[in-house]
Amino acid sequence: MALLDIKNLNLAMRSYEGETQILHGIDLKIDHGEIWGMVGETGSGKSLTGLSVSRLIASPPGRYLAGSIEFQGRDVLKATDKEMRILRGRHIGMIFQDPTTNLNPAFRIGTQLVDVALHAGHADPSVLGLEAGASRGDFKKAAKRVAVEMLEKVGIPKAAERINDYPHQFSGGMRQRVLIAMAMIGKPDLLIADEPTTALDVSVQAQILRLIHDLVAERNIGVLLITHNLGIVAQICSHVAVMYRGRILEAGKVNDVLKRPSHSYTQALLNSVPTVHTKRGELMGLSGAMRETSA
Amino acid sequence: MLLYILRRLVLLVPILLGLTLLLFIVARILPGDPVGLAAGPNATPELIAQMKREFGLDQPLPLQYWNYLTGLVSGDWGMSVFTRRPVFADILEYLPATIELVFASLFIAVVAGIPLGLLTAVYKNGPLDYATRTLALGGIAMPRFFLGLLLQMAFAAWLDILPLSGRYPLIESPPDHVTGLYTIDALIAGDWSAFQIALSHLALPAIAMALSPLATIMRMMRSSTIEVLQQDYVMTERALGLSNRLILFKYVLKNAMTSTLTVIGLYVSWLLGGTVLVETVFDWPGLGLYATQAILTQDFMPVIGVTLVIAIIYLVAMLVVDLLYGVFNPKVRYA
Amino acid sequence: MTMTPIAIPKRTQSARLENWSRAFYRFRQSWLSIVGLAIVVLLVVIAIFAPWIVPYPEHVVGGTNTAARFQAPSTDAWFGTNALGQDMFSLVLVGSQVSLFSGLAVVFIAIVVGTAVGAIAGYFGGWVDEVLMRITDLLLTIPSLILAMAVAAALGTGVWNMIIAISITWWPAYARLVRGEVIVKKEEQFVVAAHALGANWLRILGKHILPNIVSPIVIKASLDMGFAILTVASLGFVGIGVKPPTPEWGTLLSGARSYMPDYWWTAVAPGIAIFLAVLAFNLLGDGLRDVLDPKARR
Repeated sequence: MALLDIKNLNLAMRSYEGETQILHGIDLKIDHGEIWGMVGETGSGKSLTGLSVSRLIASPPGRYLAGSIEFQGRDVLKATDKEMRILRGRHIGMIFQDPTTNLNPAFRIGTQLVDVALHAGHADPSVLGLEAGASRGDFKKAAKRVAVEMLEKVGIPKAAERINDYPHQFSGGMRQRVLIAMAMIGKPDLLIADEPTTALDVSVQAQILRLIHDLVAERNIGVLLITHNLGIVAQICSHVAVMYRGRILEAGKVNDVLKRPSHSYTQALLNSVPTVHTKRGELMGLSGAMRETSA
Repeated sequence: MLLYILRRLVLLVPILLGLTLLLFIVARILPGDPVGLAAGPNATPELIAQMKREFGLDQPLPLQYWNYLTGLVSGDWGMSVFTRRPVFADILEYLPATIELVFASLFIAVVAGIPLGLLTAVYKNGPLDYATRTLALGGIAMPRFFLGLLLQMAFAAWLDILPLSGRYPLIESPPDHVTGLYTIDALIAGDWSAFQIALSHLALPAIAMALSPLATIMRMMRSSTIEVLQQDYVMTERALGLSNRLILFKYVLKNAMTSTLTVIGLYVSWLLGGTVLVETVFDWPGLGLYATQAILTQDFMPVIGVTLVIAIIYLVAMLVVDLLYGVFNPKVRYA
Repeated sequence: MTMTPIAIPKRTQSARLENWSRAFYRFRQSWLSIVGLAIVVLLVVIAIFAPWIVPYPEHVVGGTNTAARFQAPSTDAWFGTNALGQDMFSLVLVGSQVSLFSGLAVVFIAIVVGTAVGAIAGYFGGWVDEVLMRITDLLLTIPSLILAMAVAAALGTGVWNMIIAISITWWPAYARLVRGEVIVKKEEQFVVAAHALGANWLRILGKHILPNIVSPIVIKASLDMGFAILTVASLGFVGIGVKPPTPEWGTLLSGARSYMPDYWWTAVAPGIAIFLAVLAFNLLGDGLRDVLDPKARR
C-alpha cells in the first residue's frame, strides 16, 4: 500500500463563465521516503492537486468528476469531515508559498504552534508523548514543550523566548521556518509544500530546502513539493512529475526524467532554464495557450 | 504605554482650550436673549440690567471668556439662567443617567452586532444573512425618535410589560448613590428588585439608541470577516486541521475586530449626540434632556457645559479605541 | 507549442458608451438600488407637485377642521386626521418639500464649503493646512446634532436658519475627505506636468485635481442625503426649525407624541415617511458607490 495513491483524478471548477475541467486524469503514487517534485507552469493544476489531497477545495466551486485519492489506503474524497480534520495537521502537513501572509499576524507564533500541536495531540496523544486520557493541563504543557522543541529543530535561535513573539518580529526566512515547524509539529506522514521557497531570497531558499530535506530524511516521510523551479527538483527531489494543462505528461525518478526526457514539453521546459552559459538573446520561452479554449 | 497615555491626555488640553474658545465665540456671536427670556415679558429694563450684572454679561467679551476659563478649572461652569443653578452641579446630576443609557446601548450593539456579523459572513447569502441585512438596512434608516415612539406604543401601551418613560418610579427612591448608574448601584446594594425596576426603565431607550450602531457594527463586522476569511493564514489554519469554531471565534475574530473598532469609537459620539432625541422621547433625566431645555430657552452656559462634557467623553473614548487597537493588532506600537 | 494568432473582437461600441452601460449594469445588478432610485424619484415628483395633488390643500396652509379631529384612517383621510382635524395625508405629502429641499441644501452647502477648505488645506499644506484642519477637527469633536440645535435655536425659526445651522456641522467631514484626496492627487504626474507648464494654483485645483475627485464626493453626498433628511426631522422633533403651519415630518411627529398611543396614526404616517426617505437615499447611495467605486463593493 502506497502512502498516497492518486488515481485518475478529474476536477472541475465553476466560475461565472461556467464549469471548466481543470485536472484531467491525474495519477500519482508517493511512498515513504520519496520526495516528489511537481513542476509545471502557473495554472497547470499543480496547486489544486496538492490542495485536493487535503480536500481543501470548497465545493462549490470545485467538483470531482472522477477518480480517488487514497491516503494510507483510505479515499479522502469519501472521508467524513471529522476524519478529514484528523488527517490534516496530524497525518498531512502543508506549507504554502508566502510566509508573510500565512502566519496569523494577530497572534504570537507560540499560540498558533500550540493550537496545531493540541489538535494533533487530541487526534493521537503519542505525538505529544502522552497517553490517552491525559489531563488538559498535561496536554497544554506538552504542547508548549513540543512547540519549543520543534522551533529549535527548524533552527530558530532562542526558541523558548521567541515563541512569545509575533510574526512581524521575524524575517521572511524565519517565518517560513516557523511555518515548517507548524506543518511538522503533528508528526505527519506526508508533507505537501506548495512553492515553499518562491517568496524567499536565493540564499535563504537553499537553507529552507536543506531543512525540509533533513526533516524528511530523519522521519522517512513522503513529500509532494510543488514548484516551477527545475533547479530545486534536481537538488532535493527523488522523483518528479511534469504537469501541463491539468495533465501529468511524464513522471518518474528525477535522473530518468531530467536526463532523458521522453516528452517534448519536458525537453522545452528544460531548455528554458537559463544557465551561466546562456548567451544574451538565447533565452528560450514556451509558447502556446495555457489552457484549451474550449473544454 | 503609560507614557503614551499621559502624552495623549496632555494633548487634550489644547484641544479643549480651542473647543471652549470656539463654543464661547459661537455662543456670543449668535443672536438670542437668554436674560430677556428668563426674566419674562414683563421685566423692566432695570431688572434685566441687574440680571446681566449678576451673570457677568455686562463685561467685555475677552474678560468674560477669561472668567469662564478660570471658572471651568475651579468647577464653576457658570449659572444656568433657566434652572438658576450652577451648570456644574446640574451636569453632575444628569451625567450618570446619560452614561448609563449610552453604555447600555453600546453594550447591546456590540454584544449582538459582532457575533451576528461573524455568522452572516460565514453563512453568506443564506437566509440568516438576508434577514439580518434587511434588518440592518432598516435599522440605519430608522429615526431613533420614531423607533422610540413605536417601542413605547408596542411595549408600554399595548403589551404593558415595560414602563412608558422615566428612569425610576417617582414615588420610590432609587438605590443608594455610588456610581449614579441605577442598574450598577442596585447590583452593588444587592437589591434585585431595584435592579429589575431600573433595567425595565432602561430597556426601551437603550434599544431605541442601539439599533443603528448594531446594524452598522454588524455590517462592518460582516465585510471585514469576509475579507479575513480569504486570507492565506486562514487556509493554513484549516490545512493544519484546526476546527472551524476555533478558526472563526479565535483567529478570525481578532483580525476582523480592528476596522469594527473604528466604527464603535465613532458611534460613541453619535450616541452621545443622540441622547437629545431619545431622552426627550423617554423623559430620561440626562444631559440630552437638559441640553434640549437649555437650547430651547437659549441658555448658553449649560449648552457649552454639556458640549464640553460630551467632547471630553468622546476624546477619551477615542483614546481608549486607540489603545484597544494595540490589543487587536500587535504591530501597533505606542510612541 | 506553436503560436496561434489571437483574433481581437471588433468593438461595436465606443469606450465611453461601454463604460456607461457597464456602470448601469452594475447598478441594475442590485434590485435594492433600483428600489431606492424609484422611491427617490417618487419623492421628488411628490415634492414638486404636492400643492396640486393633495386632497385638502387648505390644511397645508394652516386651515383646520375641528369637527373632524382624530379621525382614524379612512377613504376620506387615508392617514387619518390630527388634533386640529387636518388631513395627515396632505400634511405628509407636502412635508416632503421641506425635507428634500433642506436635505439637498445642507449637502450642497457642506460640499461647497468643505471642498473649498479641504482643497486649500491639502494643496498648500504647511501652516494653512494646520490652522484649517485644527478648526475642522475641533468641530468634529462636538456632537453635530447638539451644535446644530444650538445654532438653529439661536438663529431663530425658519428653513434657512435650520439649513445654515446643520451645514455648519456638516462641512468638516467633506473638508477631511477632500483634503486627503487632494494630497494624493497633488503628487500625480498630470498635476506635476500642469505645474511645469506654468498653470497657477487655482487652475490646477479647479481643472486638474477637483474633476478627478468627484467620485468620492458624490458617493459621500448621496449617502449623506438620507442623514441630512434625518437631521432636519430630528431638529423638527425637538421643536427647533420649521414652525407650523408649514408641514414638516419631524414637527408633525413631535406634535403627535402627546396623543400616543390612542391616535397612533398621527405619528406613524410622518414617521414612516422619514424612514422611507432615508432608506431610499441610503439604497441609492449604496448603488452609486458600487457604480463609481467598484473596489469598495463587498
